[in-house]
Amino acid sequence: MTMVNIYEAQRANKIKSTIIVAGFFVFVTAAVYILVQATSVYLGYEFGGLGFMGIALIISGISSYVGYYYSDRIVLSISKAREADRKKDFNFYTVSENLAIASGIAKPKLYVIEDSAPNAFATGRDPEHAVVCATIGLLNKLNRTELEGVIAHELCHIKNYDTRLMSVVSVLVGIVALLGDWFLRISFHGRRSDNDKGQLGAILLILGLVFAILSPIIAQLIQFAVSRRREFVADAGSVSITKQPQGLIAALEKISSDTEALEVANKATAHLFIVSPFKGKIKGAVGRFAGLFNTHPPVNERIRTLRSML
Amino acid sequence: MMYVIVAILGVILFWLISTYNFFVSSKARIKASIQEIGNQLKRQFDLIPNLEESAKGYLKHEKGIFEALTDARKAISGAIKSGDVQKMSDAGSKLSQVLPQIQVVVESNPELKASEVIGKLMDELRDTADKVMYARRLVIDLTADFNVKRVEFPTSLVAGMFKYDELPGLITSEKGEYKVKL
Repeated sequence: MTMVNIYEAQRANKIKSTIIVAGFFVFVTAAVYILVQATSVYLGYEFGGLGFMGIALIISGISSYVGYYYSDRIVLSISKAREADRKKDFNFYTVSENLAIASGIAKPKLYVIEDSAPNAFATGRDPEHAVVCATIGLLNKLNRTELEGVIAHELCHIKNYDTRLMSVVSVLVGIVALLGDWFLRISFHGRRSDNDKGQLGAILLILGLVFAILSPIIAQLIQFAVSRRREFVADAGSVSITKQPQGLIAALEKISSDTEALEVANKATAHLFIVSPFKGKIKGAVGRFAGLFNTHPPVNERIRTLRSML
Repeated sequence: MMYVIVAILGVILFWLISTYNFFVSSKARIKASIQEIGNQLKRQFDLIPNLEESAKGYLKHEKGIFEALTDARKAISGAIKSGDVQKMSDAGSKLSQVLPQIQVVVESNPELKASEVIGKLMDELRDTADKVMYARRLVIDLTADFNVKRVEFPTSLVAGMFKYDELPGLITSEKGEYKVKL
């Protein structure tokens, strides 16, 4: 393993992340275009009917916008969190204060979940409305240096607008899923247009069918890849704030070796946490395949990357 | 043709504004960080006598620590009065060096370790030391950034336009920084 300077690691991370996000947008655009065209052909409209696209955008947009705008409140109410207190949660409170100074953003609102499984997450639509939430298990099990690593990681998510990015991504995944679903419904139950559209029409229909089946899955896989990439970016960012990779390394080791599952986490909030709240490992080819559906990179890989920055 | 020119002018204007904003906001953030260092030093100045008072009985034969604490406090009050950034930063690291020594004594003495007041004071002092460290680091990073952009082309054009002076940096030894023991 060659030594990587933090700044180089950060730059490489950002480039990789940008490529994935750009690839995602290209894919979504292509999938939406083909599904819309194929639907139009099926229903006998002329090419270019964007009506369906519009409806899908509105539906997916509203659901995600609500999630985005109220993400802090929704997540907090799901997670049953209480506000952190300077006296009771001295380390959590002051460490966040300090790192907010260091990273140049306002101190986020701090919450504590009364759960003994160690974990933490950040949410909120921008740095002004940001929330960092830690479980009581995390606060009890980590010392100050380790806590600094974790909080700095969360502050990086906030500073990088990851909540916003993931919201946009999930709107697009939603659009693709809706369009794919509609196309399948129409093609099974819908009426067929009488006039022949010729070869282009036939190709579009086949392509539409393929895309309708595959693209929602592919879009979601890319969404997970984006989420994993953002974790690496936040890890590198954390080190550049604290200058102490060993803090985050020790924290990740402690969190991942803890076998307790977080009760308040669910599939919708999983990508927010510092370490995936779902435990249990599958090895081999099946594991690698299952890895595609993970919101987080494997902890070993993150620790290895952090070690190279020591 | 018109549009191209307008677009180019727009890009240039956008760049000018964002570069100007970089300089202005860097200066503001540096100033805020220096103020933060001052605030934390005042906190330390107030906290040290409390610690001395409550630990007096236990630390009788730890004269060296007491002297170091008093010394640090003197340096802190001098630095606050002078308002000099370098002096403030140095005074802050002075306390950072004494704190681990006190921590060792506290850890080795069950009575001290059990004392809630002393634990609380140590936590607070450690926190002020951390805050000084982070604020100081921010001053160093921001000044370096500012000074590089000031002389680097093309941002130097904007710096020249507004006649920005080079900002004095901080000299610091990272090894003197206080690290929390594992």
